[in-house]
Amino acid sequence: MSSESSASSIFPRTDWAGLGRAADADEARLDALIRLYWGPLRIFLVATFPSLKDQADVLLQEFAEDKILKEGWLRRADPNRGKFRDFLKTSLRHFVLDRLNRADARHAPVSLEELQQELPGPAGPSDEFDLTWVRAVLAETLRRMEADCRDPASDQPRRGFIWEMFRIRLIDPLLNDAPQTPYDELIERFGIKSPTDASNLLLSGKRIFKMHLARVIKEYAEQDAATAAEIQELENFVSRLAKRS
Amino acid sequence: MSEFNSAAALSKSQPKSLAAFLAAGAERARFWRPEELSAIFRHQMSAPILVDLGGFDPATSVRLKTLSQAQSLLLKSFSDLFHHPVPPLELLSITKDFAKANMDHPESSLPHEVAAALYYASIATALVRLDARISQLKDAELQRGLLWAKDQPWVDDPTREILVEALKKIPPGVPPEGPPL
Repeated sequence: MSSESSASSIFPRTDWAGLGRAADADEARLDALIRLYWGPLRIFLVATFPSLKDQADVLLQEFAEDKILKEGWLRRADPNRGKFRDFLKTSLRHFVLDRLNRADARHAPVSLEELQQELPGPAGPSDEFDLTWVRAVLAETLRRMEADCRDPASDQPRRGFIWEMFRIRLIDPLLNDAPQTPYDELIERFGIKSPTDASNLLLSGKRIFKMHLARVIKEYAEQDAATAAEIQELENFVSRLAKRS
Repeated sequence: MSEFNSAAALSKSQPKSLAAFLAAGAERARFWRPEELSAIFRHQMSAPILVDLGGFDPATSVRLKTLSQAQSLLLKSFSDLFHHPVPPLELLSITKDFAKANMDHPESSLPHEVAAALYYASIATALVRLDARISQLKDAELQRGLLWAKDQPWVDDPTREILVEALKKIPPGVPPEGPPL
């Protein structure tokens, strides 16, 4: 399984019929979450346990099935006791350690010693995980924003222009190093009547982006307060990283 | 059909780019870059008056329409208004209020500098064309604002001329130091 796999469930071996009906909603949501954040999890696993690189996808699959989908796992991710991302990392780390311990008990004690040597430093893998996490969050946010703006059923006039303006003005120059499109070209392209009109188009884009960002994060951060805190935390994290680079 | 691959766009983004993107995505972040003020001011001057001022209450909107079409003046744009030999005073006053509202609002959709230039241009036009004072600003404050506006490199020449003419109508004095914004 790789981060590119997103078309279908990442849990093809899961016995969905065997799961309790009450848990169905949780399971489906977790399935989607893990699919979305498979990339960051894989990076964290490989960075934390380099010798397990070749088994990373299998281990993640097992982690998802044995740990995450286990009833009640998500409920233990108490927003008051820390971030969901940290809870996920700790769970994955414990899961792999447990697997290696069990393997160690069955076979030679090599794995455990290797494991002790390769236990991660606090910053490296975690930063890489968080950075990939931010990318995944933003990619999903932009994907949903585009779909929303291009929805032909939308009754908001010029909603497609809102996406195009947001992409041309913010995404392309800031994320793809594209040159800024001159203001005159923007007004011609979108038939903008005045600077106020132009700003409103951009402001609408920012609001739609913000709404989808909050929704994407809320799917794992749960509560509104925790969602706002997580957005702030992600912004602070990339700012800190940007200053260091 | 999606034309944009968000995952690909994000996959190699560096922290600096991500931080800049998140900061720019904030609602209060500046919409436009300083080097774009010239194009924005030009656009503002050519913008239909009724589009920008039409956001006022319905009664004012109707009044605006009447004023802008009065006496076959057909004032379509702010440029038409400022450069008309006898512009309607009320229309200049409403324009000044629109500009002031945008200057004072922290989330204004008009760049602060452009709003300020529009504000002083409307006051200057009333002074020059109608010999009327539509602002409560003291002479020194008005002088400072007019001086600031005329010195902006992105202000067009015809508007600059009005600002210069207006300055001549204010009794000479020492304007307070610093920008008026």
